[in-house]
Amino acid sequence: CGNQVGTDEPLDGYSAEEIFTRGEYVLENNRRIEPAMRYFREVERLYPYTDWARRSLVMQAYALHRDGQYDEARATAQRFLDQYPGDPDAAWAAYIVALTYYDQIEDVGRDQGLTFQALNHLRYVIEQYPNTEYARSAVLKFDLAFDRLAAKEMEIGRFYLSRGNYQAGINRFRAVVEQYQTTTQTPEALHRLVESYLALGLRDEAQTAGAILGHNFRSSPFYEDSFRLLTAAGLSDQAQGTSWLNDIYRRTIRGEWL
Amino acid sequence: GGAAAQAYRFSNIDVQGNALIDDDQVVAFARIVRNRSMSGADLNAAYQRVAGTGFFRQVDFTPRGNTLVITVQEYPLISRVAFEGNRRLNDERLGGVVTSRSGGVYSPATAEADANAIAAAYAEAGRLSARVTPRLIERANGRVDLAFEIEEGAVVEVERISFVGNRTFSERRLRGALATVQAGRLSTLFRADNYNEARVARDRQALQDFYLSRGFVDVQVLSGVTELTRERDGAYVTFTIREGQQYRIGRVSVVSEIGGIDAAPYQAALTDRTGMLFTPTMVESLIQQAERVGYEAGQRFVRAEPRLVRNERDGTIDVELALVRGERVFIERIDIQGNVATQDNVIRRQFDVAEGDPLNPREIREAAARIQALGYFSDVQVNPVAGSSPEQAVVDVQVEEQPTGSLGFGLSYGADDGIGGSITYNETNFLGRGQRLSVQVSTVSSARSLSFNFTEPALLGRDLAFGIAVGLSSTTSSESAQFGTQRLQFSPSLTFPVSEFGRLSVRASISRDELTVTVPYDATPAPTGTDTVAARIRQDAGTTMTSSVGYTYSFDTRRNGRDPDRGFVFRFGQDLAGLGGDRRWLRSTVMAGYERRVFNGDVTLRAEFEAGAIAHQSGDSRINERFVLTSDQFRGFSAYGMGPVAYSPNGTRNGLGGNFFAVARLEAEFPIGLPAEYNMHGGLFMDVGSVWGIDNPGTTCVGPAPYSNCVIDDRTLRATAGVSLFWDSPMGPLRFNFSTPIMSEDYDQPRRFDLSMATRF
Amino acid sequence: CSPIMRYHGYAPSDEDLAQIQVGRDTRETVAQAIGQPGMGGVMEGSGWYYVQSDWRERGWRAPEEVDRQVVAISFDQGDRVSNIERFGLADGQVVALSRRVTDSGPRPSVMSQVLSALGQFTSLGG
Repeated sequence: CGNQVGTDEPLDGYSAEEIFTRGEYVLENNRRIEPAMRYFREVERLYPYTDWARRSLVMQAYALHRDGQYDEARATAQRFLDQYPGDPDAAWAAYIVALTYYDQIEDVGRDQGLTFQALNHLRYVIEQYPNTEYARSAVLKFDLAFDRLAAKEMEIGRFYLSRGNYQAGINRFRAVVEQYQTTTQTPEALHRLVESYLALGLRDEAQTAGAILGHNFRSSPFYEDSFRLLTAAGLSDQAQGTSWLNDIYRRTIRGEWL
Repeated sequence: GGAAAQAYRFSNIDVQGNALIDDDQVVAFARIVRNRSMSGADLNAAYQRVAGTGFFRQVDFTPRGNTLVITVQEYPLISRVAFEGNRRLNDERLGGVVTSRSGGVYSPATAEADANAIAAAYAEAGRLSARVTPRLIERANGRVDLAFEIEEGAVVEVERISFVGNRTFSERRLRGALATVQAGRLSTLFRADNYNEARVARDRQALQDFYLSRGFVDVQVLSGVTELTRERDGAYVTFTIREGQQYRIGRVSVVSEIGGIDAAPYQAALTDRTGMLFTPTMVESLIQQAERVGYEAGQRFVRAEPRLVRNERDGTIDVELALVRGERVFIERIDIQGNVATQDNVIRRQFDVAEGDPLNPREIREAAARIQALGYFSDVQVNPVAGSSPEQAVVDVQVEEQPTGSLGFGLSYGADDGIGGSITYNETNFLGRGQRLSVQVSTVSSARSLSFNFTEPALLGRDLAFGIAVGLSSTTSSESAQFGTQRLQFSPSLTFPVSEFGRLSVRASISRDELTVTVPYDATPAPTGTDTVAARIRQDAGTTMTSSVGYTYSFDTRRNGRDPDRGFVFRFGQDLAGLGGDRRWLRSTVMAGYERRVFNGDVTLRAEFEAGAIAHQSGDSRINERFVLTSDQFRGFSAYGMGPVAYSPNGTRNGLGGNFFAVARLEAEFPIGLPAEYNMHGGLFMDVGSVWGIDNPGTTCVGPAPYSNCVIDDRTLRATAGVSLFWDSPMGPLRFNFSTPIMSEDYDQPRRFDLSMATRF
Repeated sequence: CSPIMRYHGYAPSDEDLAQIQVGRDTRETVAQAIGQPGMGGVMEGSGWYYVQSDWRERGWRAPEEVDRQVVAISFDQGDRVSNIERFGLADGQVVALSRRVTDSGPRPSVMSQVLSALGQFTSLGG
C-alpha cells in the first residue's frame, strides 16, 4: 500500500496484515531498521498470538541480526523458539541464533568460545530441521567454523614449533591430523610433523608423515615443502631462513606468529 | 482431568475460555495430530506442553468421545511496561534487566523477580537503598499495563574507613594501601568511592597482602563490617585486623627424602636470607633456587616442600626444605579462554613451561603472576585441572579482559612554564599483541610538544623490548630564555634484562635542532642599534643535525624489590654523538637514590645524587646540548635560574646552562597530624649542588652588578632548603614547595614558591 | 649477564631404561616403569618417544638449546619392545621452517584493528 504511514501516529486502525506488510516494505527499503521494528512491535502488541504476530517476531530477529545487534537478535529469536516451537519459521529463528554467534567469530589468535557456540547451534539447525534451506547453508558454515578450530590448534602448534618446543608442537599437529582430518589444515599439519620429527632426528616418523601427505594431498604446496625437506636436496647444515629484519616486520608489524 | 491408560483418537479439538489467544495457537502448543491414536502418556505430554507455556493460570483436558475439550484460564497480557522515578538508570538499561515485555504475559512471580532485578542493578551502582514496587493498571479487553515504581535513594558513599586492631601500622599507612578513595568533596564526580561489595572484598585482600609481605604470617583481616548511615547515603567500612606477630627468617636447611639424592648441593645453592622478613615471595624464591639444582642435575621431578618451624620468643621461623619426589604428572594442554581482545601467544609466552613438560605448581603460580602483571585483565585464574589420564593435567587459564586504552586530558601548572594542557592517548595492549602505543600533545605557555612512543615488549618472541620514540617540540623566547628552539627527534631503542632487577637499554637517536634569536625577548627596550642579544647566545643560533648512539644501565628495587619498605635505584647512561651529523660530543649522566620507610611506614626518607657531564669535540657546546636543571631536579630555582649566565649589551640576563652539573637531594615525608580525610601530609627537603662549565665564555664579568655584555661562570655551590605540603586532592596530586636559598649568587634567580599539579580526568 | 636456564620435557635416565627388557616388555609394563610417552608417532602402533631439552637464555640473544635427550622405544607386531634408542642434540637436524600458513579465515586487517582500538577509550580519572 503506497500511503506513507507516519512513524509515530497510532496504528490501531490498521489490520495486522497491513502493518506487517508495511513493516516488510520499510525494512527492505532502508538501511536503518528502527521504523520497521516499530511496525513489527506494534503488530505483536495490538494482535498478539495471531499468525502475523508470530511472523513479525521472527522478522524482528532477522532485522536486528542484519543490523548487527547480535545479542538482541539472539534474545528475540530465542523468544520465538520458546513461544512457537513447532512453527515452520522455527528453523529460520534457530538459524538466526546460530548466525549471531557465527558472525562474531574472532580471528584465531583470540578465544574461540563463540566458534564453539556457533558450531553447537549450527549442529542443532542441521539435526532439528534437516531438509530446510537453512540446514543446507548451516552445513557450509559448520565446516568453516570447524576449520577455524583446527586453525587455532595449528596456530598454537606453530607457536611452540618456532620456540623449539618440538614435542609440544607435534602433539598439537597430531591432534589436528586425528580430530580435524576433514578441514583444510590437515596438509599443513602433516608438513609441520615432517619438520618437527626431522628436527628431533626421527627420520622414519618424518618419512611416514611425508608419505601420508603425498598419498592424500599430492597437489598441496605443503607436499612440495616436505618433499624438499625429506629428499637429500633439502638437507642443509644451517637454517637459511629469511633475514631477521623480515622476521621483525612479519612478527611485530603483521602480527604473524612464525 | 487425568487420562486413563487406553488409546485415544480425536477427530476435533474444542478450545474454550481463551479470550486473547486464538484456538489454533493453543492446539499448536499441544501439538496433537487429529485422527491419530495416542496413548494416555502422549495426552499427558500434550497437557504438560500447554501448561508449560506459562500463559495460562489453569489448563484442563477433558476427552469426550472423539472430541478433546481444552479449557484454559488466561493470565492477562501486558500492553505496556513502564518505569517511573528512575533518574540514574535510564529506561533502556532497565528494559534489558526485566523479563516482562509488552505483548508478553503478566504473572505475579515474574513481576516480583523483575522488581528484585531492578533493585540489584541499583545496588550494583552503589545505591543500596533503592526500593522498587511493581504496580498493575487494568486496561480494556483484558490487557494490563505493568509499571515499576522506583525510589532510587541517594548514592551510598563510603563515608569513612576505619581500622580496629592495627598496632604496627597507622591508619594513614593502611589507607594508603587501599584502593577505595575516601569520600572527598568532589566525590560525586568519581565513581571510585561509592560503596560496592566487590571493592570492599578487594580491599580486604589488599590489606591481607600488605601484612603478609611485611612478615605478618598469621595476619587475619576480618571482612569490612558496614553500617549504613541513618539517611542511607553513606556507609562506614570497618576492617578488624588481628596482626599476629611479625616474623623474620631464621635457619634455612635442606633435607633429602629421596634415595640417592644428597642434600648438600641444594643447601649450598640457597642464598643466606636469615634475618630478612618472612614473606610468601621469599619462600617461593628459596624453593625455586633448590629446584633449579635438581633440574641442572637432570632430575625433573625433585620438588622442595617447605616445612616451617616457628619460634615465637625471638620472632623467627626456621625453613626446612624437604626434597621429595614430585608425582609424575605432565601438562597435556594449556587452554586459554576469555581472551577476546588479547592474542593467545601474548598470554602463552608468559609460561616458562611448554605443553608436555612436567607439571610444577610453582611455575604455574609464577606464570599466573606474570599474566596478572600484564595489566590487561581484571581477573586471572590459572589452575591445573584433570587431564585425559591420571598422569596428565590441563592448565586452564581463564582471563577477563579490561579496557587497556585510555584518553587522558591533563591540566598542569608549573612555576617555570605556567598553566598547561595536554591530551594523552595510550594503549597498553595495542591490537591485542601486548604492544604499547602512546601519543601525547601538550602545550604550556611557552612550549609545545608532540610525542609518539611505540614499544614491542617481546621482539621476535624474546624478552627484548623494542621501542621507537618520535618527538617534535618547540619553545618560544621568554623572560628567562632569550631564544626560541625547535627540535625534531627520532630514537629507536632496545631494552633487555641483565639480572633480576637490572636492565640495559641501548638506543640510537637522530635529532634536528634549530635555535632562533631573531625576535629576542627584551624586558627593557634598548636604544636602537645596540645588539640586545647576548653574544654567547647569538653564537649558538642556527640549525644542527645530531646523530648519536647511547646506552643506559638501570638497577631499581624500589617497586618490586625484596623489601617493600626499602628501595635502591641506580642509573648510569652515556651518549656519543658524531657518527654522521655535524655535532660531536660525549654525554654521561649518573643517578643514585635510596628510599626507606621508617616508623612503620609513616615517614619516608629519600636521598638522591645526580650528576652529568658533556665533553665536546665539534666546537663550543650549544645551549640545547648543555644541562639545565628543572625545578624538580633542583628545588628553589627557576629554569636557567642558576649556573652560568650571559648579560646582553643592555643588561638582560640569560641563563646558559652548563656542561657539568651535580646535585644532591635529601627529603623526608611525614604525616602532619591532620584528620585522615584531608589526605594531606608534609615534607622537608634540602638540595645542594651546582651547574657549571661553559666553553669559550668570551669576556667574563667583573665588578659589582649591573653587568653588561659579559659572561659569569664561577663554579660555586648552591643550596636551598624548604618545606613542602602534599595534598591528594580529588582533582589529583598537588605539591606545594616553599623554599629559601641558603647559598646562592646574587645573579641567580631563586623561586621561593612552587606549585605543581597534574590532573588527568 | 647471567644466563637463565629453561628445562623442558622428561626423558627416562639409563637406570630407568635398564628395567625394560627388549622382547619381553609390553606397552603396559613400559608405561608402569617409566610412564606414558611425551608423544607418539604418526601411525597407530608406532613407537613411543620421550623428549627432554635444556635451553640457555642470555640477555637479548635468542634462546639456545644446549642439551636434548630423545628416547625412542619401538614395538614389534606383537606390541613387544623391539628396540630402545637414545638420540642427542647432534642427531637432530636444523630445519628451515616453511613460512607458508594455511589461510585461517579472515584475519582483521591492521587498519581495521587500529580503528576499533581507537574506538574504545575510557576516561582515565576516578
